[in-house]
Amino acid sequence: MAGGKQNKLSREEELLLQDFSRNVSTKSSALFYGNALIVSAIPMWLFWRIHQMDLYQSAIIFIIGTIVSTYFVAMAYRNVKFILKHKIALKREDAVAKEMMKKLADDKRMTKKEKDERVLWKKNEVADYEATTFSIFYNNSLYLVLLIVASFYILKNFNPVLNYGCSVASAAGLLALFSTSSKA
Amino acid sequence: MAATGKVLVVIGLFLLPVLTYGDTCLAPHVKSQTYSTPEAIVSTETVLIVEFTVTCKNGLKNINLYADIGGRTLPATKTSEANKYQISITDEHKKLPSGSYNLRIFDEEGFAALRKAQRSGESTDSLKPLFTITMSHPGIWSGPMVQSEFVAAMSAIVVWWLAYTARSKLLA
Repeated sequence: MAGGKQNKLSREEELLLQDFSRNVSTKSSALFYGNALIVSAIPMWLFWRIHQMDLYQSAIIFIIGTIVSTYFVAMAYRNVKFILKHKIALKREDAVAKEMMKKLADDKRMTKKEKDERVLWKKNEVADYEATTFSIFYNNSLYLVLLIVASFYILKNFNPVLNYGCSVASAAGLLALFSTSSKA
Repeated sequence: MAATGKVLVVIGLFLLPVLTYGDTCLAPHVKSQTYSTPEAIVSTETVLIVEFTVTCKNGLKNINLYADIGGRTLPATKTSEANKYQISITDEHKKLPSGSYNLRIFDEEGFAALRKAQRSGESTDSLKPLFTITMSHPGIWSGPMVQSEFVAAMSAIVVWWLAYTARSKLLA
């Protein structure tokens, strides 16, 4: 860390760390898990209504599948968000800086350092928000594609219970796997 | 005496057609109902069913009837109701295409003639059936052109493709 002896990090450094860390705030974590749960629950409807599985009889496998899938989908959300955040931050940097400078231009009392800090904070916020929402959208669409293709085409002739297990596991697993690749 | 015998023979000869006509349904009045398979999704074969009631002018009942449909002959099943018959044909969808089918119904006598003609390889068209029932088969519906899961998969792929291109733009 900067200074070596200095234990306390400056505000700027904290922001920078936050910017580069994989950790997500509680708010966005809740958003991720909530969304992942909803998306993971969709296959339940599909297998209940379309593949004619009994909702109560297969409740256990449905619950296990949904929980496992929620975990993997949330993981994919986090990974994709992490990759996207820096790219988005770089893309939106100029626009955000311009807007913030315009906003803060009238404020004469604010120092340059303070202004920069504000810009950095705003940039982080914008990138975080965009990356979070986009990550959810992207992963949801990919999850549904994987699920539909697996359940209707690849595992078409399997019995519904096996079909559910395999298609949900493969969709969630592949989603998590794809999310770890840093390339587009 | 001999003359009386001759007269009796002659009378008998005159009566013979009347007696034989006792076995033939005269001027049959037919009421028929038909059914044909409407779709191919849940049915593996096409079935044509004809149900008809025959009323003979001479009050004949419980006669055996046979049907000839485009070269295949089969007996008409008697139902529990008097003079009500049923004929059903099943075959692959392709072999029973849409169109109208002429069911030529024969009685025992006609059927014997039909079999004879078939054995000797003659055309059976000239044989006069007891009556003919025409049924039309409007054809089978083999399901929608595009399966619903295909539509679902395609729309999901399109949405994902949009997301993917947007992501590539952001990562570029």
